[in-house]
Amino acid sequence: MSASVIPSTSRPPRRSKSDVLLRVEGLKTYFISRNRQLKAVDGVSFTVRRGEAVGIVGESGSGKSVTCLSIMGLTPTPGCEVVAGSVWFDGEDLVKLPERQLRSFRGRRIAMIMQDPQTSLNPVLTIGDQVAEPIRLHLKKVGAALIEAVLAALTAVGIPQPERRLKQYPHQFSGGMRQRVVAAMGLSTHPELLIADEPTTSLDVTIQAQFLKLIRDLQRQSGTSVIWVTHDLGIVAQCCDRVNVMYAGRIVESAGVRKIFKEPQHPYTRALLASVPVKGTRKERLYQIEGQPPSVDQLPEGCPFWPRCSHALDICREQYPPQASKGGDDFVHCWLAVT
Amino acid sequence: MAHPVLQVEGLTKHYRAAGSFFASGTDIVHAVDNVSFTIDEATTFALVGESGCGKTTVTKVLLRLEQPTAGAVRFGDKIVHELSGNDLREYKRAVQAVFQDPYSSMNPRMRVLEIVAEPLRVHQGLRGSALCDRVEELLSDVGLSATAASLYPHQFSGGQRQRIAIARALALKPRLMVLDEPVSGLDVSIRAQILNLLIDLQIEHGLSYLLISHDLAIVEHMSHMVGVMYVGKLVELSSKDDFYSNPLHPYSKGLLAAVPHPDPDLPMSVGVTGEVASAIDPPTGCRFHPRCPIYQGTGACRASEPLWREALTGHRVACHKVEPMLEIADAR
Repeated sequence: MSASVIPSTSRPPRRSKSDVLLRVEGLKTYFISRNRQLKAVDGVSFTVRRGEAVGIVGESGSGKSVTCLSIMGLTPTPGCEVVAGSVWFDGEDLVKLPERQLRSFRGRRIAMIMQDPQTSLNPVLTIGDQVAEPIRLHLKKVGAALIEAVLAALTAVGIPQPERRLKQYPHQFSGGMRQRVVAAMGLSTHPELLIADEPTTSLDVTIQAQFLKLIRDLQRQSGTSVIWVTHDLGIVAQCCDRVNVMYAGRIVESAGVRKIFKEPQHPYTRALLASVPVKGTRKERLYQIEGQPPSVDQLPEGCPFWPRCSHALDICREQYPPQASKGGDDFVHCWLAVT
Repeated sequence: MAHPVLQVEGLTKHYRAAGSFFASGTDIVHAVDNVSFTIDEATTFALVGESGCGKTTVTKVLLRLEQPTAGAVRFGDKIVHELSGNDLREYKRAVQAVFQDPYSSMNPRMRVLEIVAEPLRVHQGLRGSALCDRVEELLSDVGLSATAASLYPHQFSGGQRQRIAIARALALKPRLMVLDEPVSGLDVSIRAQILNLLIDLQIEHGLSYLLISHDLAIVEHMSHMVGVMYVGKLVELSSKDDFYSNPLHPYSKGLLAAVPHPDPDLPMSVGVTGEVASAIDPPTGCRFHPRCPIYQGTGACRASEPLWREALTGHRVACHKVEPMLEIADAR
């Protein structure tokens, strides 16, 4: 029996008036096969306000990508299912919506940028065709208005000579330019929420910096909310207002970005911050988190971080720690914070 | 006094671009152009730059996977691409490599014992229990238990596989290890383990490293000397401390500024605008001028190639604007 804390009242948030755009509540997404289930996401709750940039930080296998796919209703079926929880988006629970209605959200009000721009573009369609698709489907534009909207979308993401470029194919674009095209597709319908899943992993630092600034500027201008999924603490510090730290399928700490970096509460957050080399600060030796992230099919009893935690208590090995509030929306799941 | 392990002198590697169906390739890719640097004993030399700048081509020539078009790599008093026979065997023993993806650099059908033992069998003719003992010793050097020897690569996590790759590279007691993005494929919490291990091994065995990395924070943590490459050219070369406290080349400054700093109080900066120039038809003069923030549209930057010169003691740079900048700094 999982001891995770799910808010008992799942009242839908008020429509539109509220500044909360997305509220994920007690989300559980399991990979289910004939004889076992893997708890990829195991009781995740967080909110995204309008215009806010929220980071989801975690290592591979921590469940950050599956969380995003669950929000979009894009979990690979059969085999991966949202088994509990809700995803309230502007008053609607996306988990309960039928596929047909979900389509009016996906791509229209919620857009996603994936890690690898090469695989999210169709190699046999021109850039123009691909950027036009969401505008045609969702905004119902045709003809000259459609072309105008495509050019505007490409210009907004800083693609030079858009009239010439829209007739070209993905292979004629560099990695950075391809990622801009993917961003143009996502942003062309003026979504209220943009989910960026490790969008810069395949880019050079220089191109990454350009891309981060682009998304942040567009976000500020249009008031779009953004979920940044990343393992790079530098990106989190520069782009996010709020940070959720994930470990083994759960959010172990949630706080404003300054608080996460200046006063981290969870031993995992603290260890992560101590283990990365920081430009301009000489660390004699990097702090080393022993062991490795647990695999979801072999989670230890109690808090999944205890085998690697240098502060583990006896109770940590027995029971998952309850949520300890740290003021406002901030919380941490750690027995050290409870006692 | 520092002893050089390896000297790269005027190294140039050009490739012929693949032609299309109708035309045979006549374009020349200037992958590496006249690059010189020295790797000293028991130090780490880092090469940084964007993808396509020629870092990996340099390592390929070093590892004798490619022949240089011009220039030479010197190992002691010998020229590497002219080695043969016993000298070549000795060189291949002394220079080892660890790559980004340890999984694709291991035979999935071999047990760890066989993977780590192979160089020992081939080069030193070790057999039987002597071989097993040496493998166990190597595994323990990289922090793996002896039971790992009987397992297959897929049974390990990425970090552990990288440890196996390091054990294999260490087997022949090399003098130089080429580390090509050794931690980019690993989880954040695992990177520190591998970086610490590499530093420990360097101190223990007096190893030299050639580190290829795009992560400038890791380079700062690991290296003693830093070389910056742009479209096949070395544009700056200095000690790590000088490079990070006083980068001279505008490209180096841009690269450093582009690293997102894990501190929410620092502003975001873009560093360098535009994209890397093509190595097939590199810009005239200074190859960086189309992206350079201090280029003013005319003058030497476009017309002539900047000289590779020592701007400060031990700090080399190729930039037309650097000397004037230093004079201004002095005048103040």
